[in-house]
Amino acid sequence: MDSKLAPIRKGLLEFLVLKIVGARSVYVPDILRTLAETQFATQEGTLYPLLSKLRREDLVQYEWRESGIGPPRKYYRLTGTGRAQLRALDDYWQGINRTIAAIGS
Amino acid sequence: MERISVTVRLNGRSVVQFDAAAYQRLEAYLAESESLLEGDPDPAEIMNDLEQAIADRCAQRLTPDRPVATLAELDAALDEIGTVQVADAAAASAGAAAATASPASTARPTAPGQPLRQHSQGAVVSGVCLGLARFVGLDAMWVRIVAVVLTLVTGGGAIVVYAALMLLLPFAPLEPGGPPVGWLPAKCRDAIEFLRSRLNGGTVTTS
Repeated sequence: MDSKLAPIRKGLLEFLVLKIVGARSVYVPDILRTLAETQFATQEGTLYPLLSKLRREDLVQYEWRESGIGPPRKYYRLTGTGRAQLRALDDYWQGINRTIAAIGS
Repeated sequence: MERISVTVRLNGRSVVQFDAAAYQRLEAYLAESESLLEGDPDPAEIMNDLEQAIADRCAQRLTPDRPVATLAELDAALDEIGTVQVADAAAASAGAAAATASPASTARPTAPGQPLRQHSQGAVVSGVCLGLARFVGLDAMWVRIVAVVLTLVTGGGAIVVYAALMLLLPFAPLEPGGPPVGWLPAKCRDAIEFLRSRLNGGTVTTS
């Protein structure tokens, strides 16, 4: 069963990361913590390549902030394009949900 | 006895001490990550982020009286960080192929009892012989030899059977990291899927 669900989670992870970054500016441990309690629990090994891709696609950007303890941290937030993309994904997702609820019932 | 430790600067700024075994493991993890990121347009940024994550997670586990990271600390940190998963689909297949390239991937011994399907990955023509081989648990080479002999013996009659199986057998889903799909198998798959969609389309419109 999980082999059927894993690709769905994988496909949705990008959407969820955009949602988290869209809510407030965050650094990677914040994202990991938010996802840890969900079905989408993930790891840096997955998240860093994904964030790097999102940055290349100009959907997120980051800035360095001093942290008081330890080295400065990368804080991510959405770009204008990212916000538009998130809205489009959100609409699409709502549409999919309506279709799933309506079909076969 | 003297414990030899290695001082490493990770991500150009965070200094961590590792013992010899942990240092070896660190090098192996970074080398593996780098090869997985082959094909990613910006591996340097991701490698820096990973190094920082390793440094941070090791630092959390070290204390002033235990300042050297051993395998215990490093393995726990690497477990939390996980193996690199490439985000780009195209880069993913390139990296996965590089990371899992094994010389015998198409001749991989298979357990019998897999459903009878065509396997495009590692196929010569359309993957019928490979599918039969997986179905009965033989090396594909033997099935192919039998198919060629049958073709010769039957004066080409076996080709008709092959074509019928091409049309009838479902295609196995493509496995990420599996052997590549050759030019001919890809063409066969496209052609058959096109034919099937036409056939299905016909029945749907008439019913």
